[in-house]
Amino acid sequence: MSKSEEYDVLVIGGGISGVEASLNLANQGHKVLVVEKDLSVGGKMIHLSKVFPTLDCSACITTPKVSEAARHSNITIYTYSQVNDIDKKAEHDFRASITKFPRYVDEESCTGCQVCEDKCPVVVQDQYQYDLVGRKAAYVPFSIANPRIAAIDIENCSLCGACERACPADCIDFTQEKQDIEIKVKSVIVATGFKLFDPTLIPRYGFGLFKNVVTSMQMERQLVPTRPFNNVLRPKDGKMPDNIAYVLCAGSRDETVGNPICSQVCCMYSIKQAQLLLGALPMADVTIYYLNIRSFGKGFNEFYQQAKDMGVTFVKGKIGKVEELEGGDLKLRYEDIEQGVVKEANHDMVVLSVGILANDGVTSLFKQNLELDQFNYVNQKDLLANPAQTNIGGVYVAGTASGPMDIPDSILSAGAASSETAGYLRGGNHEK
Amino acid sequence: MAKINPDFAKEIFKYGNNDFNACYNCGNCTAVCSLSDKDNSFPRKMVRLSVLGLDDKITESLDPWLCYYCGECATLCPREANPGELMMSLRRWLTAKYDWTGLSGILYKSLFATLFAFIATAIAVIWFSAKLNFNTEAIMHFGHQFEMISIAAVFTLILLPNIARMWWFTIIKPGVKVKFKTYLQSAKELFIHMFTQKRTLGCDDSKARWFMHLILVFGYLALLFTTVVLDWFGTENMFIIALGYIESISIFIITAIFVTGRIKKNRELNKFSQPSDWFFVIWLFLMGFTAFIVRIFIDLDLIENNLWMYLFHLIVLVQWALIIVPFGKWTHFLYRSFAMYFEKVIQANK
Repeated sequence: MSKSEEYDVLVIGGGISGVEASLNLANQGHKVLVVEKDLSVGGKMIHLSKVFPTLDCSACITTPKVSEAARHSNITIYTYSQVNDIDKKAEHDFRASITKFPRYVDEESCTGCQVCEDKCPVVVQDQYQYDLVGRKAAYVPFSIANPRIAAIDIENCSLCGACERACPADCIDFTQEKQDIEIKVKSVIVATGFKLFDPTLIPRYGFGLFKNVVTSMQMERQLVPTRPFNNVLRPKDGKMPDNIAYVLCAGSRDETVGNPICSQVCCMYSIKQAQLLLGALPMADVTIYYLNIRSFGKGFNEFYQQAKDMGVTFVKGKIGKVEELEGGDLKLRYEDIEQGVVKEANHDMVVLSVGILANDGVTSLFKQNLELDQFNYVNQKDLLANPAQTNIGGVYVAGTASGPMDIPDSILSAGAASSETAGYLRGGNHEK
Repeated sequence: MAKINPDFAKEIFKYGNNDFNACYNCGNCTAVCSLSDKDNSFPRKMVRLSVLGLDDKITESLDPWLCYYCGECATLCPREANPGELMMSLRRWLTAKYDWTGLSGILYKSLFATLFAFIATAIAVIWFSAKLNFNTEAIMHFGHQFEMISIAAVFTLILLPNIARMWWFTIIKPGVKVKFKTYLQSAKELFIHMFTQKRTLGCDDSKARWFMHLILVFGYLALLFTTVVLDWFGTENMFIIALGYIESISIFIITAIFVTGRIKKNRELNKFSQPSDWFFVIWLFLMGFTAFIVRIFIDLDLIENNLWMYLFHLIVLVQWALIIVPFGKWTHFLYRSFAMYFEKVIQANK
């Protein structure tokens, strides 16, 4: 099945940058299509607990923007879809092909009642809770998903038909097929975001081997209002941890894993989580092992000082190795740089502050080769004068697709991308 | 007050291949090192001292000798600053520093000087043989005498004073007060490490490296004893002859494995071989191999007509005894074990 549609702007990626850029353009009267590969828009931000350094609720900032975009008359959102290729025919004339994958649920009639979820007998790991708990094969992705409708995970589905029989709206449809859509747009915004560093690439930290070694995203999930447990628990035995270690630069500033640059957010999100942990677990000790604390943004250094004042311990020294002790506690070996002495410390839970990496595969979408920088982020050819401009005229970049950055910077970047796009749509910026 | 040597980095680069200025002081190297402990936290401390040019502090430290170069620190260094190779370079630099003649430094830094020394010794041996009219018996007699004299001379004139200098740099100059009794009580440590190299077993890499090295050390020392004291080339005793064969074979087989490793660069410690490393391992191979062939020639009564073979062996021997042993990599045999001994003395004193 194939159909053809026309928009002013194609936004690739429905994270906070893509949504922000779409809203800016839609409010100026431009027709925007957002293509999101996931089941819900909102990107990574919608899964976070609080934002630094204000400790505002992350979901409370994301969800209003996301639902405004979803209801906006100038914005069309395709979730669970991917852009296959984009060809620039001329200025203001891009042709793209999009594939919309089947959810096996009728998007119009699903009410998100979760009866299917209740009846489904298949349990698999919940990727939206970062594998901390399970979910069903028929499921609403997460409670604040947008659209908040069910999907069938067909790879794990046993095709028992229980959901189909139970659905009160009769919206489960196993005959759905993927849909190819040809679109014509005048301009493109790349807002493909980032991916998290895979800590199994550092075997000496024991992630995947020792259950009480978790990623910062898993800890983040334990601190959100929609958390999987009602408290912070360590995975191995469900004990409430009282001595938590943060390992900074896990996969950042490290040539051996091929990512020599700073991820820009780990110091601050770790400090934020440490503060939240002191609230969630008043008796717990939190130690942050760092190389350098990079608290460079507005209010960041005060936030760092505040964590120190609250009693978070900061130790300068990269963790060399993690060993599991009997009972699941972990022994960390490091050099205390301030004393120049190698030390060992025991903790009952270790959080790896994983870095962020470029999302690969963006460049292959474009027939006119989209340039990347040396770290695989989209190259900003004129960083100072036109920060959102890519090497292809009419194609702009927003948010972490252009490099590691925090949420305020991503919003700013999306603002820049939308205004540069608006200028292009009005006939400017042709030669670039 | 500490004195900074701004040219120290430049100096160290002449002793090895490394990029320690890339270090951002995370301490990962020290944390992953299985030999590093609270009394001796290395190698980052050495990297730091090198970056700062505090060469006096390095001279008084035993840390470079306490590292047995498994290479973990270099493989896992997030800055690829190669701390393991810096430790190796510092060992070469310290060898030069301890050497009162200053020849070690010249040979380490200049390949030209090393080649010149090797060629000069070869010419001297040939010239001396010519003076003896290439008389096989006379030359072999001389060769045997040379071994004994050179061992005594190198030991008393070069190695002993250098060990004394090492002691001066690492214990006396930094002002460590040690009772005489402590020296005696810790002496056991010296011999244990000299003959077992058991500290290598603390390294995380394979135990095979330690075992082969151990066989090599024993093979070398035993062959030395067999040729010098038991007069292997002159003896008729079947037991001694067989013993010498086994020793020389084990030397040239193990050194052949080590040379292959350095060519293949199969381990972190093999990746940055310097001329001094090549000379050491190749000459050790040649020592074992030529001694083996010479003894075969003797047994087959070929040596009278093939004096060149013995001359070749003698050249290798002279170069080994006069260049590599006193001024080259051979000295690590002494410095490593004395470092363990001095370290024990310092710790016992605390």
